Amino acid sequence: MKLDPRTKLIMVMLLTTLGVLAIDLGYLFIVFLISLAFCLILNADLIMAIKRLRHLISVIVFIAIVQSLAVRQGRPLVYIGNFYILTLGGLINGGEFALRMMIIVLASLIVAGSSSSEMADGLIKMKIPYELAFMTIIALRFLPIFREEFSSRLNAIALKGIDLKRQGVIKKIKIYSYLIMPTVSGSILKSKRLSKSIEARGFRAYPQRTMYRELKLSRLDYVIMSLIVVFFISFLVIMYSLGGLL
Amino acid sequence: MRIELKDVSFYYKKPFDIIKDFSYTFESGKLYLVKGKNGSGKTTLSKLICGLLRPQKGSILIDGEDIKKKRTAQIAKDMGYLFQNPDMQLFAMTVWEELSFFYELEKNLTEENKEKIHSVLKKFRLEKLIDSFPLTLSGGERQRLALATIFIRDIRFLILDEPFSSIDQEGREFLTALIKEFIASGGGAIVISHENIFFEETECIMLEKNNEA
Ligand SMILES: Nc1ncnc2c1ncn2[C@@H]1O[C@H](COP(=O)(O)OP(=O)(O)OP(=O)(O)O)[C@@H](O)[C@H]1O
Ligand SMILES: [Mg+2]
Repeated sequence: MKLDPRTKLIMVMLLTTLGVLAIDLGYLFIVFLISLAFCLILNADLIMAIKRLRHLISVIVFIAIVQSLAVRQGRPLVYIGNFYILTLGGLINGGEFALRMMIIVLASLIVAGSSSSEMADGLIKMKIPYELAFMTIIALRFLPIFREEFSSRLNAIALKGIDLKRQGVIKKIKIYSYLIMPTVSGSILKSKRLSKSIEARGFRAYPQRTMYRELKLSRLDYVIMSLIVVFFISFLVIMYSLGGLL
Repeated sequence: MRIELKDVSFYYKKPFDIIKDFSYTFESGKLYLVKGKNGSGKTTLSKLICGLLRPQKGSILIDGEDIKKKRTAQIAKDMGYLFQNPDMQLFAMTVWEELSFFYELEKNLTEENKEKIHSVLKKFRLEKLIDSFPLTLSGGERQRLALATIFIRDIRFLILDEPFSSIDQEGREFLTALIKEFIASGGGAIVISHENIFFEETECIMLEKNNEA
């Protein structure tokens, strides 16, 4: 399904807003399912995405586990005598964190299919100031660039014959910290190059310049957009009048 | 070392096979020159050989063993791979650290290994740059540093992705001599290059572009 970048951007904005506002696990789960549904409708290649994002996902899961173990609230689920290992409160906390992050990841998949220039065009048509539009594009592109850079460097490490999976925790941390600096600086350099190339194509110079391919909202865009806005409003109304689900 | 590709096919996106039913055997003691137009799959082929990418069809054997179930680090243990963009394989804050990090990681930075680092630095003409930040080196220097990190390991097979594209005449001669020496000492090399570097035992492989609809 081909949607206008503006429709996608609104989708992302509203879904991530709900992800942040949702007051408990139940609501988060609903937002998560809806984001998943939109990704599927938009033909996002989820299996491919999971493969590519597996490091990010494992970090999210790791933090979620640490969080569930660290928070000690509510009914104990696993305990030795008086020592609580896992509590209901902790589990809920970890689950909320994981779902929030996954909603953001899914939302970013929604826009992943559009090119930077399409996105720029969409943002300008939405009357968003150029500086802001410009920043949004760079920000949206930073994560994929960072991921690319990071995985290339992980590959380079493997090509040195070093099996990261077989290393102990301390060595793993050492190797990761060894990778962070060049990855961050490499990503920043690439983003700078991206911003230069967008500017070089006259993004700021000619506010009124005509686009090669004019964007136009189709009937489908209007349908999807109203759907998501209706969902957004009713979700908030229900959440604040009904209170927590769990 | 013997690297055998049997009916290997690979695509990034169905149904566009970048590599299609490709069979070839690479052996130690020889230089293999891989050529082909931009986008014909040269880099892809080299990544398949070192295990960074896995074929959807066919098999790759190293010394008779299928690499399918092996992890990349295991496959690449005896190989050296120079990226088309060597920036991707430089990490450290100084040239010295670039070569010493993995000894330090193994708590194995002995006097003997320090000596080894010095001799590799010398061989790759980097002694004067020992404290420099790798990413501020010139293109040719960065490539020599990446090569140094490869040659400090004991490798039996070398894969170079377009190593001649950004270096001057002097660098060219240096690199050609390096490859020649490596092969004479019993190593094998796959070099992706548009240049003709011919030794006695050079085989040329031409990749066709078959990903166009
Ligand atoms: N990660 C990727 N995802 C999808 N397609 C890719 C990817 N990497 C390469 N390709 C595509 O596969 C084809 C072969 O790429 P490859 O890099 O192997 O070519 P090459 O022969 O090395 O080209 P060059 O001479 O420009 O380095 C190209 O059409 C390229 O666009
Ligand atoms: Mg290439």
